[in-house]
Amino acid sequence: MKKKNTQKTNNATWYKLDLSANVYPTLQRKNFSNVYRISVSLRERIQPDILQKALDTALCRFPTFQVALRKGLFWRYLEPNHRPGPFVQPDIENPCMPMHFKANNRYLIRIYYYEKRISLEVFHSLSDGTGALYFLKTMTAVYLRLLGHDIPVGEGVLDLSETPGSEELEDAYLRYASSKVKRPRSQGRAYHVRGTKEPFYTLNIICGVISVDKLRVISKGYGVTITEYLNAVLLYALLRKQKDEHLWKEKPVKIAMPVNLRSFFPSKTLRNFISMVYPSIDPRMGDYTFEEILSEVHHYMRYYINRKFLNADITTNAATQQNPLIRIVPLFLKDFVVRRFYAHVQDGQSSAGLTNVGLIKLPEEMKPFVERFDVLMGQPFSARTNCAIVSYQNILTINFTSSIKETDVERYFFCKLIQDGIPVKIETNRKMEES
Amino acid sequence: MSYCVNCGVELDKTATSCPLCHTKIYHPGHPADTEAAPPYPTVKGVSEPVKKQEFAILMSIIFLTTSVVCALLNLFILPYGRWALYVAGLCILLWIFLLPAFFPKMANVYVNLALDSIGIAAYLGAISFLHPGDGWYLHIALPVTITATLLLEIIFIFAVHFRSSMLIKAVISVAAIALLCLEIEAVIDYHFIGFVNLRWSAIVLTCCVAIDIILLTIYLRAGLRAEFRRRMHF
Repeated sequence: MKKKNTQKTNNATWYKLDLSANVYPTLQRKNFSNVYRISVSLRERIQPDILQKALDTALCRFPTFQVALRKGLFWRYLEPNHRPGPFVQPDIENPCMPMHFKANNRYLIRIYYYEKRISLEVFHSLSDGTGALYFLKTMTAVYLRLLGHDIPVGEGVLDLSETPGSEELEDAYLRYASSKVKRPRSQGRAYHVRGTKEPFYTLNIICGVISVDKLRVISKGYGVTITEYLNAVLLYALLRKQKDEHLWKEKPVKIAMPVNLRSFFPSKTLRNFISMVYPSIDPRMGDYTFEEILSEVHHYMRYYINRKFLNADITTNAATQQNPLIRIVPLFLKDFVVRRFYAHVQDGQSSAGLTNVGLIKLPEEMKPFVERFDVLMGQPFSARTNCAIVSYQNILTINFTSSIKETDVERYFFCKLIQDGIPVKIETNRKMEES
Repeated sequence: MSYCVNCGVELDKTATSCPLCHTKIYHPGHPADTEAAPPYPTVKGVSEPVKKQEFAILMSIIFLTTSVVCALLNLFILPYGRWALYVAGLCILLWIFLLPAFFPKMANVYVNLALDSIGIAAYLGAISFLHPGDGWYLHIALPVTITATLLLEIIFIFAVHFRSSMLIKAVISVAAIALLCLEIEAVIDYHFIGFVNLRWSAIVLTCCVAIDIILLTIYLRAGLRAEFRRRMHF
């Protein structure tokens, strides 16, 4: 009887997609899904059977990760998924490959293991990097507990005996979207990196491993934060790449950077809660020195990344979704319009993506078992390069992912760091013999 | 550990060249460690195919229910002729058309095309059985279906197996249209008047020949081909 009641409750449970989650399934193509990856490297080789147990145990605490994506007449939604899985599997060369909604027993997460590394791949409609990091930390803590280590809760490791609170499942955008003005959506077109497209099922990764202390000293020397410094280096690399191409008409170089809104609007949500900012340099105004680029980025960040501007941004998105005229339009028409808008406007307004997940904290007892974290932004929508940064203790990893053969942006980026006196270690999944 | 002499970055111990600038690593003291595990796996993954059984079952039930309901209606409520057989035939035909969607792994364009044609021929045969005319099925419907199938198979063979230019594919498609029109008029004439008197299909043939000559000229002239590619890119 009790089982029947639980089943009934589960059948009644469903989740609306949050404000940004609505866009990602719309952009789904046969060869593209909005999937990202967060990995944790431990000090010992991974034991798959224990990892599977840890996954099964941890997943119950994260109901919004144990879901399937379904289509309604007007919107998509998430419903609890009780099919077998997800199952841990050996890692592959091409991470973040397309995730078909009806495959994999309809699960929208994948868990891989390779040597000492556990990787979690998440379809972006479920959660942003912060939410996925909570899941990965909790699963890793359970894995270590199953190996006999005493790992407490805290610092992102959730208590498995707790019931998920309503705030963890909320669409925080709607709670905070209260601005009386809406910021314009279009930022104008930006320079797009040209390159030779790789065949389907290829995702090139170039990972730079850097010392946080060294990077902090250098960025402090410039009078900026680490994020501002790395943003400026990427803009500098993109500007050099554009110069190399000798274009007849140069375009502004822009970076699409997600900002974690939890830092500005207190929320415990494990779902998406990010907004995009676009630091940029317009080379049509003249040649910029690296110091000038740094200054531009520094002031842009200080001016735009604050509660007021971010509120205006999320209000623009919330107003669109809550507009009654838009709400009654059938889903297939919404898909058609959003896909065209994204392909022609949104995708064209940034030259590269850069995300900085920041410094990852873990409980003291867990630290000796963890070596480093990695984040991959996944396959770009169009042929370009994305960059994801994460740091843990004194190791900062910068992962470039791209679906083009050329490595010019990555080379300019890392060479600039070397020039500034920051040692970089490079790892890749590219085929060396072919290159 | 090795460093790239060009970029200055430290390289992984398994690396044989710099991933950034492709400079080969030559370090007699520390050759590339081929025994150690590389930083990333080397096995390529492929997305799990979507299972279509549910869709196949749902559509099969819809077609079956439609056929049965129409048969019952025809028997007991609307007993005018044997119209339910048309509906049942159409349901079977649609089911055959949807076979590649039901079994995507087993889908083969040539086999599916042949099955579609057999389905169409059988459906037309059933109609001719219900309405026996003056032999229109054997004289017109069957030859046209067979020719159309053969021409489509030829077009697919060229499109899939020969790395020919778009222009050559267009030439073959236009020629196929001309041949089909000629055959349609020929079999209709033979059926109704007993001899072949080509009229409208001759006009189609003339137009198709003219188009093919233009396309072949563009294909054979490099300058025209480049211009065509520029203007027609998509």
